[in-house]
Amino acid sequence: MNFVVSWIVKFVFVLVISLISIFLGLLYKGFDRKITAMMQSRIGPPLRQPFRDVKKLFMKETIVPDGAVPWLFNSAPIFALVASLVAFAYLPIGPFGPLMEGYGDLILLLYLLAIPAVAMAMGGLASGSPYATVGSQRELVLMISYEVPLAIAAVTLAYNYNSFSLATISSEPVWNTVGAMGILGFALILATLIAVMPGELSKVPFDQAEAETELAGGLFVEYSGRNLGIFYIAEVVKMIFVGALFIALFFPYNLSSWYSFGGPEVINGMLLGNLIADILFFLVKLLIIICVGVSVIRVAFARFQINKASYFYWVPMTVIGLLGTLLVVFENSGL
Amino acid sequence: MKEKEETTYEVPIGPIHPALKEPFLIKFKLDGEEIVDAEARPGMNHRGIEFMGMHRNPMKVIPLSERICGICSIVHQHMFTTATEHALGIEPTNRARYIRTIMCELERIHSHILWAGVAAHEIGFDTHLHFTWKIREKVMDLLEYIAGNRVNYSMWTFGGVRRDITSDMYPKVFETLKYYEDLYEKLEDIFLDDPSIKMRTQDVGVLTKEDALALCGVGPTVRASGVKKDVRIDQPYAAYGDLDLDYVIPSRYGFENKGDVFSKTLVRLKELLQSIEIIKTCVEQMPEGEMTSEPKKAALFNKLEKRSGEGIGRIEAPRGEAIHYVRLVEGRSDIDCWKIRASTYNNLATYRPMFMGEQIADIPIIAACIDPCIGCMDRAEIIDVDSGEVETYTKEELHELSVKKTERIKNRGIK
Amino acid sequence: MPTQTIYTLIKQLFTKKATNPFPVKYAPENMHDAAELIEKGELEINPPVKVPPNLRGKLEYDKESCIGCQLCVKVCPSEALIFKEDRTVRHHINRCTFCGQCVDICPTNSFDFTDEFLMAGPRKLNDDLILNP
Repeated sequence: MNFVVSWIVKFVFVLVISLISIFLGLLYKGFDRKITAMMQSRIGPPLRQPFRDVKKLFMKETIVPDGAVPWLFNSAPIFALVASLVAFAYLPIGPFGPLMEGYGDLILLLYLLAIPAVAMAMGGLASGSPYATVGSQRELVLMISYEVPLAIAAVTLAYNYNSFSLATISSEPVWNTVGAMGILGFALILATLIAVMPGELSKVPFDQAEAETELAGGLFVEYSGRNLGIFYIAEVVKMIFVGALFIALFFPYNLSSWYSFGGPEVINGMLLGNLIADILFFLVKLLIIICVGVSVIRVAFARFQINKASYFYWVPMTVIGLLGTLLVVFENSGL
Repeated sequence: MKEKEETTYEVPIGPIHPALKEPFLIKFKLDGEEIVDAEARPGMNHRGIEFMGMHRNPMKVIPLSERICGICSIVHQHMFTTATEHALGIEPTNRARYIRTIMCELERIHSHILWAGVAAHEIGFDTHLHFTWKIREKVMDLLEYIAGNRVNYSMWTFGGVRRDITSDMYPKVFETLKYYEDLYEKLEDIFLDDPSIKMRTQDVGVLTKEDALALCGVGPTVRASGVKKDVRIDQPYAAYGDLDLDYVIPSRYGFENKGDVFSKTLVRLKELLQSIEIIKTCVEQMPEGEMTSEPKKAALFNKLEKRSGEGIGRIEAPRGEAIHYVRLVEGRSDIDCWKIRASTYNNLATYRPMFMGEQIADIPIIAACIDPCIGCMDRAEIIDVDSGEVETYTKEELHELSVKKTERIKNRGIK
Repeated sequence: MPTQTIYTLIKQLFTKKATNPFPVKYAPENMHDAAELIEKGELEINPPVKVPPNLRGKLEYDKESCIGCQLCVKVCPSEALIFKEDRTVRHHINRCTFCGQCVDICPTNSFDFTDEFLMAGPRKLNDDLILNP
């Protein structure tokens, strides 16, 4: 009986986390747009603009083009959204451990991260437009490109902790587990991951799959109304998911470990003051990560050609990643 | 070879597409990401302005002519006015020549900065779109200060200009020029040194010197390939004859005359600097005198109705050489014939060699690198409504048609 | 890759924005309602940009000095001027292109530019958009 209750509780929590993550995603999208605008010397849209966008998209007519495969075309956005939402259940957020602790690990997360991209490519191919087809091909090419440095980073982290479990990795900040050389190694890994982030999220300079001026929206070109709205939400959820993953892997610091804010005891013996401070601290960390990884990179570079983007991930980023791995291995082997 | 044919597919860019700022169609044959064939098809934005002009008197056509293009409105105004002056035998005053030159060069600054922003946008660098358009405001403010309007300036009249640049305006002119001189280094940093822009522009859309000459390209598009072609120097108009100018080609600045997008950017940026110098010299050398040689407008009106003749206006627009042809006939107050040949018409032919072998990703920047102005140049396309077939005329057929038309005009006689 | 651009961008984050927030900072939900509110004076707008001294703004027409020579009607490119029976002209500002040919050609200087340029309103045929109706 206890088992059933705990599962129901978990189910409710997943729902709550999903709603919160959608809300946060749209809010951070607003922040991203505002900061981007300010860096370009514009005023930019109000923070609630993404909410309005989604509201409007859901009110609009959803068109399925004649040449499309309807079931695939309609299910692709849902795949993308569900995969991004499910991933949150395996991710430690702020002071909380992963909801599904003990069930999934880093490998699972990397796969869940790949699903939205695959779903987008699938939807693009199913829509039967030449622009979308080109966009989907580019998305897949880009995916196999950035997966290499991403996998290197994952393997290095797992090697360092002797575990793929995220709970273990985020239990102690990576910087405390190694010496000077290891820190340098992980800094290189962090740099590659920051470079992977815009590719993962299809932002400039790696937005070849959408490429507004080239492909008129690429794989989204035929999407409209509710389907596009779901893609929009999936995109923002994925954005904060990647941000939260960064925090879990590299900056799992909590304010409460340095200073106690007091307050009554709430969950698992955590104090209310600490809980609030940690959550706020997490949100600030997320904002900084998204600022650096998405906003600044987005405005500071031109879009790469697809072959140059692949080259960028396969050669310089992979080499830097491997160098980082070597340094960590060197440090850990105690030579 | 047969296998290759099966793998190509067609992608139309246009008539409405974010890579193009105006309705225009380019049909591409692609092999994966590579372009194997390109065909440009105008005819989506034809507004019949020449026809409208032929039903109005020349005074009414001056404001109409500057509405041919939103960016180079001075250019068209200048060409129409000089063509009509040529037909009537009116000479503009010396002061008017200098004011015209200053306005033309201010517009060149405005057009080239605008182009730089559009080019940045096409390669996904919106930051520089916002930056360049922000600094463009300054020259537009100056144009508004001089002419009274921000976009369509309405400065020209037959025999001169309608608004003077008086000495109390000089400080503002010099202040604006100083602003661009100070910013110039930054513009070069952005467009010639930024690694991600260089990655997208170097060796992209190469137009060889041979192609440039064979296809009769004009303006910065061919000057980037090292072709020395500039109406301001070859056949000076307005006050350009008094100035010491040199062709802006990359080899003058220690670069290779490659003809890629990078060289085109370089040429446009250097022309910015050249324009600043020209304006400075013109303001310093400006002669005193009347603004217009035809101050009595009512008398001018009579002259327009009573004289016949034909004239040509030629100018180096920011995009390259452009020509207006005007014919006036005695006893008819409306213009008898008006023909416009904008610079984009020549440059369209250079698209094909530039596109061949490039990637899809380069389509927008190559399409933008000639600074196309479809509204200026667009031609009508003949389509059979029933079958939907597009008629294409060969050179011989076109010649035959024009001979027929000439005879028709002859037979109609002149009223 | 720290480029010059990133430095500029960070600087621009804190400097004054180039956008002129006219008439209001963010677009209102309904522009038509907002225009009416502004007309009634219930909604305050940010001031527009400063205009140069020789602006070609809204025209003003002096009916008294007009001699009815019709030269302005002849040169108006957009046919915004209509000759009336009482030998004066009616000016439709909604058609005007502000080229100023009528101002230049008028022998009695009956036309002149003002520096007023906010002529947009909820109604196309407003009374203040037709001179000498």
